[in-house]
Amino acid sequence: MTLLHRLRSVVHWIIHRSEAEQGLNDELQSFLDMSVAEKIADGMSPAEARRLANLELGGVEQVKEHVRTERHGGWLDEIGRDVRYAFRLFFKNPVFTCTVVLTLALGIGANTAIFSLIDALMLRWLPVRDPQELVQVRLQSPGANEPGGESFSYPMVRALADQRDIFSGVAGFSGTSFDVGTPGSFSRVHGALVTGGYYSTLGLNPVVGRLLTDEDDRVGAPLSAVITYGYWQREFGGSRQVAGQTIRIKGQMVTIVGVTPRGFAGANVGDVADITMAVAALPQMYPTMAPLLGSGNVWLRILARPKPDISTDEATSRLNVMWSRLADSLINPGWPPSERKKISESVFRLSDGGTGWSYLRETYRNPLYVLMGAVSLVLLIACANVATLLLARASARQKEIAVRLAIGASRARVVRQLLIESIVLSLIGAACGVLLARVLGSLLITLISTDLSSVDFDLTPNGHVLAFSAAAAIVTGILFGMAPAIQTTAVNPIVAAREDVRTTAGSRTRLLPFLVVAQVGLSLVLLAGAGLFARTLSNLQSLDAGFRTEGVLLVVLDDQRALISPPVVEELQRLPGVLSTAVSTHTPLNGWTWSEPVVPAGQPRPERDNAVVVGAGPGFFSTLQIQLIAGREFTERDRRDRAPVALVNDAYAARHFPNRSPVGQHLSTSIGENKDFEIVGMVRNAKLTGLRAAAPPTVYVAYYQLESARATTISVRATSPLARVSTAIQQTLQPKFPNTPIEVRALSTQVANTIVQERMMAMLAGGFAVLALTLACVGLYGLLAYDVSRRTREIGIRMALGAHARRVVASVVAGGIRLVAIGVLAGLPAVWIGSRSIGSLLFGVRALDAVTIAGAIVVLLAAAQLAAYLPARRASRVDPLEALRHE
Amino acid sequence: MDKLDIPQGTLDLMILTILAREPMHGYGISQRLEQLSHGHFQVNPGSLFPSLYRLEQDGKLKGEWGASENNRKAKYYKLTASGRKQLEQHRERWDRAAFAITSVLEGA
Repeated sequence: MTLLHRLRSVVHWIIHRSEAEQGLNDELQSFLDMSVAEKIADGMSPAEARRLANLELGGVEQVKEHVRTERHGGWLDEIGRDVRYAFRLFFKNPVFTCTVVLTLALGIGANTAIFSLIDALMLRWLPVRDPQELVQVRLQSPGANEPGGESFSYPMVRALADQRDIFSGVAGFSGTSFDVGTPGSFSRVHGALVTGGYYSTLGLNPVVGRLLTDEDDRVGAPLSAVITYGYWQREFGGSRQVAGQTIRIKGQMVTIVGVTPRGFAGANVGDVADITMAVAALPQMYPTMAPLLGSGNVWLRILARPKPDISTDEATSRLNVMWSRLADSLINPGWPPSERKKISESVFRLSDGGTGWSYLRETYRNPLYVLMGAVSLVLLIACANVATLLLARASARQKEIAVRLAIGASRARVVRQLLIESIVLSLIGAACGVLLARVLGSLLITLISTDLSSVDFDLTPNGHVLAFSAAAAIVTGILFGMAPAIQTTAVNPIVAAREDVRTTAGSRTRLLPFLVVAQVGLSLVLLAGAGLFARTLSNLQSLDAGFRTEGVLLVVLDDQRALISPPVVEELQRLPGVLSTAVSTHTPLNGWTWSEPVVPAGQPRPERDNAVVVGAGPGFFSTLQIQLIAGREFTERDRRDRAPVALVNDAYAARHFPNRSPVGQHLSTSIGENKDFEIVGMVRNAKLTGLRAAAPPTVYVAYYQLESARATTISVRATSPLARVSTAIQQTLQPKFPNTPIEVRALSTQVANTIVQERMMAMLAGGFAVLALTLACVGLYGLLAYDVSRRTREIGIRMALGAHARRVVASVVAGGIRLVAIGVLAGLPAVWIGSRSIGSLLFGVRALDAVTIAGAIVVLLAAAQLAAYLPARRASRVDPLEALRHE
Repeated sequence: MDKLDIPQGTLDLMILTILAREPMHGYGISQRLEQLSHGHFQVNPGSLFPSLYRLEQDGKLKGEWGASENNRKAKYYKLTASGRKQLEQHRERWDRAAFAITSVLEGA
């Protein structure tokens, strides 16, 4: 009997059930009729014949039941009946049902939200042909343990693409943004630059037109772009005439040649690339970016598709043979020999690439795992909570269950019925949870998305996510349903049915406090974690970075050619509300740095960069309020016709000029023609490159003495509302740079952007801790309320004997606090384990910070006191006479 | 006369054997079984019908509605090709088992 056949008959049974039931009915009826007829023929009276025939048959319903269980899919029927019965019960207890469903929806919803983010960021296949075949190419330095460098130069990507015996396709790509539109009405659109093999490697077919090929990836080829399905729908209304239309990017006309399939938004996960152009179009679009096509810039990520007939190991070893042959011609000759040697001795590694690439993975992998851990604790607490509710309700059902056991239902059958009730409850909870997760998920995305780097995921629940929630629901249902089910059925049915339910309550009260203790312990872990993340965030926000964030606007001219002339800056200086202005190549925490080898004059220059370099104009230090320790700032006189000057920071001076003043000393550098700089001043350390690390040794050189054009930002310190000044700046500058979109942002935004991850952790961990605390308090409240109602009589007697109401309150509250204290003790080892796993995410606070843990305990006790007070007050209002009559 | 319990696993074999001769309805099968076993076996409908339904589901039997001898509506079961094959196999196995048991009992 094949599985298929079996399945078919199950399906047949489900579809043709009523028919089959009818058939069975008819058949048994005809059996009975024949039996009766024969008995009458044998000489019995009709009544006697019917009685005997029925007796022989043994009950129509019983026979039917036997047949049903024999049928394939008969068990489905039984489960169906259990489910229907469960629903009937739920409708009879709407308050109970809603409480349970809400608790589970919160627990499962939070889990689903975090999981769907993990899924979107790390697990989901790219919507391309056979994504499991794709590999990501990395280059690992000799002796290094890390996965290896992910970025490659354009010539290297082309060289790899030429290895036709290894790869059937190689795709190089990098995210970027395009300013689309006419002067004055630019819109910034996320995009990607890709090599010619990108689309063929991914195996995509255009919805309209064609996709980019090697032909487009030639210098001098007509400027062509491919757009995503979403952009096509939004901007072109899905018109099929889109192919051949032009859009204006940076003043250049670019022809749209095609549209990618729906769902595909580039190989950069989390960064939707609405417009994609070939790398070789760069020199024509942005002449200053021509060096990106050379061997000196490594900036492209690679996904490749090995030929189907060779294994990954084989591909890797062939690649390394190729590398030993070609390395010398592909490594930039301008790099220092030691660096060249290191790269040529590196080896290629191929890792799974079917999920694409994302810079977000490095940043969010650990935080998301920590959050996943946190939400599973929340779910455990929710389970304990629901188990408490079920146990409390079980007393009400004890008699019903005892009766069912007594009339012959097996214990397994009753346990199954109870478990099915639990699973149905948790599936309803999960369904609500999935809806909740949608909301939570988009909230999460707005949390990690900033003005400066937007993050975009499709969080529509997919198969993975739904399977995850369903699995979570079923496991949850069994978890919280098992204990009550076993306990409720572990009774002698005769005793239970006859005697008062209360006699069996003893065993249950042992489990209830245990559940409350578990909830308290788990809540403590979450509270302590939330405390640690909150302190990390506040440490980062309040730390002295060496510069002042407030009141500064940054004017970013997104054009590397723009060497801002002094008159432009002076014009801004005259705007109302502006205190000071300064140009510079970098601003604090702008996300990229410039480094060079810089040593005191007379010393040999090292091959490796040893100092961060910033080109700064007059007024830079006063605008950012970086304190001058010795010497002077840059002034208007520091121009190309004067000898080059520099300032150094504290860290640089401490390393290279220990115990003497650097002012007046000379530096030997690799910058410009002169390479000799006189130090004219020393400033305090400022954390320009990152808040967590100490400020690196930094050398400031005079902006107007720089020989080559560099990206430039104007910093503006202003008094009046920043928004007004920002508008004024834009109105003044835009006419001067018609082809350049001008972006004005607050320095505080740029700084906040670097602690997005920490803010997310603080907010989510805090949110989950509050949720956990609430659930635990509800659990405690439930237990105490149940306890008080059970002890009504005892309390009544004590009060009748003269116990003071306050004493009664105190005894109930004390009972609650005792449980919480045990929970705290049980939770401490878990806190120890949990906090060790988040150590690397913290800043300025130790993982086992006594103050934070003490704070968490205080919060827990305070909340518990509140939860205990309500039942206690009810206990104190017990009227002794009522209580005694109660029984 | 006291009835014997039908030995485990033999009901299917007997049903198939009875139906090998001619198609028959449930009541007919139970009557024929009693008659052929000289009254030693009496099959309980609570066992007969589940067996019939299982065999039908497994494709060994095919049920069709028809009219009985005295013009009642009745479901007639018919052996399918696969049912015939199963009957042969079971019959062969049963014969061997019966021979073996008898040999043991007589030889001891």
